[in-house]
Amino acid sequence: MQPYLDGVLSDEQVKEAWEHLADCPGCDKRYRFEEDLRRFVKVAVDEPMPPELMARLAGLRQPLQ
Amino acid sequence: MSESAPTAAETRRIAEEARDRVRFEEEALELSDQVFRVARRLASSREEAEDLVQDTYARAFRSWQQYTPGTNLRAWLLRILTNLNIDRGRRQQRSPDTQPLEEGDYFLYNKLESTIADENPDEERVLERLSQNAVVDALSEVPHDFRDVLVLVDIGEFSYAEAAQILDIPIGTVMSRLHRGRRALKQNLAEKTVVS
Repeated sequence: MQPYLDGVLSDEQVKEAWEHLADCPGCDKRYRFEEDLRRFVKVAVDEPMPPELMARLAGLRQPLQ
Repeated sequence: MSESAPTAAETRRIAEEARDRVRFEEEALELSDQVFRVARRLASSREEAEDLVQDTYARAFRSWQQYTPGTNLRAWLLRILTNLNIDRGRRQQRSPDTQPLEEGDYFLYNKLESTIADENPDEERVLERLSQNAVVDALSEVPHDFRDVLVLVDIGEFSYAEAAQILDIPIGTVMSRLHRGRRALKQNLAEKTVVS
């Protein structure tokens, strides 16, 4: 299931996975859970860069000679 | 050739180099927000993440000529960053040799599902039972080696191949660490889930 979610399967394998998910409510439910969980985790842990850090990074640029 | 008067070719070379450098710096700075978001989850505190990003950019600006234009600059920056992170002696804390329980894969799902009386719980609602802090803590408690891969792939959206390149490990190792990292994350989440 993980390689399927990561999009690293071959077309043939994707087709196989699709067919299986269509026929198996248990796996389909877990698949959707995995997908939602990843999205959820990504959003929950997101923290944008503090603006003052951007200014500090820009200050690290080398002056033109 | 006189030492004091540079040739036209030299002057042009200097001008081209300056132009390339400015372009590099601008492209790198445009990626800083994305670099920070990944760094924040690799480091244990916000302060540490800021220091890491700052050191990464200082090094990148110094060694910009080692970057090959047209290749993935974000991956190049993350490679510097993960190396700096390792150099800081972070790895003194070794990953545990023991594998998380096999059950970890479905443990979270089963636990969340069992807390809801509804026969067919809506997945989105199941996840709402997890607090944001619980997720942040659960991720930070994933062992470093697994977490690096997990953060690069799931948060940074790097491919397996890019993660392998950034961390300088084989792609098979990326896949096994990713799998174990996700399993550890789910197990940590399950432990933090309050059963009502």
